[in-house]
Amino acid sequence: MRKKTFVIFCCLSFIALWMAGCATTERSGKSKVKWTPQGTVIWDKEFEFLPPPKEWSIITVEVGGEFGFGFMRVEKGAFPSQSTFVYDEEPFGCSLNFEKRQEEFFKRYLWTTAMTLDMKILEKKKVTVAGGEGLAVVTEGQDPVKKEKVKSKVVFGKRGERVVSWYLTQWRQIDGAYDDSAFQVFDTFWGSFKYLKKSFYETL
Amino acid sequence: MEGHQRNLYLYDRYNTRVAGVSVDDVTTLKYWAKSMDVTFPLLSNVTGFLGSSFGVSPSPEIKGYPVFGRRTVIVDKAGIIRYVKDGSPDFKDILLFLKKLNQEGGKS
Repeated sequence: MRKKTFVIFCCLSFIALWMAGCATTERSGKSKVKWTPQGTVIWDKEFEFLPPPKEWSIITVEVGGEFGFGFMRVEKGAFPSQSTFVYDEEPFGCSLNFEKRQEEFFKRYLWTTAMTLDMKILEKKKVTVAGGEGLAVVTEGQDPVKKEKVKSKVVFGKRGERVVSWYLTQWRQIDGAYDDSAFQVFDTFWGSFKYLKKSFYETL
Repeated sequence: MEGHQRNLYLYDRYNTRVAGVSVDDVTTLKYWAKSMDVTFPLLSNVTGFLGSSFGVSPSPEIKGYPVFGRRTVIVDKAGIIRYVKDGSPDFKDILLFLKKLNQEGGKS
């Protein structure tokens, strides 16, 4: 019988530092962004995409990482009126199958179990993203306690054999109106996304 | 733990098995594993003896509460500890190490 190497991960406490991957906004992003004559942006020599308009700030993760990078825009209206979209190479969940992965993903997305957010799927359809098959899911949730609501679009795609994601969240006060223009900007972002080199996992 | 679950297919590729160790009781771990879709074994080690055997001690920062640090340990098929790292798991580092270890094993 083939012997197995054993890995024992002594995670002796599940009190994790959930917020270890805090995001910050970056004004210039000069170190990672390069413009092309075609109007696209090359991010860290690895990704190419059509960037959002100037009013969107770049956000990156300094430590740990809940996502790779993204953009955010503070919008008209009282807090929490803002839209944020990101590219995430390690979306919640584990399955390599889109349908199963989206089920796993939405168990933890936006901390729905910790918040009083009641999320509902509004739309789910197959898409083409980064040259391959993908799945786009639009959701909306309301938090009657905080009197806030959120509309979100999550696009699952593949990089190599692993599932990656692009997602937008738009928060509003519960009686506020959503702004579809952010979703259009987001659609342009993920719709133009290209990989310029193989991922760590593809070269492993 | 979710990261390890996500990488199970790669661990399998490198002839590796993973187990999680926690001071939480069996019932807690059972429900936690279900909620997180974790399928690999979780060992309930409420007294902390297993962690101690791998050099993990209760955190001195929270007195009177059994909070242990996080440590990743890789044991090879000969039972020799080959990798120890504290803090959140560095999954890419772990995978590179396992790949190397598997290649070593393949030559012997």
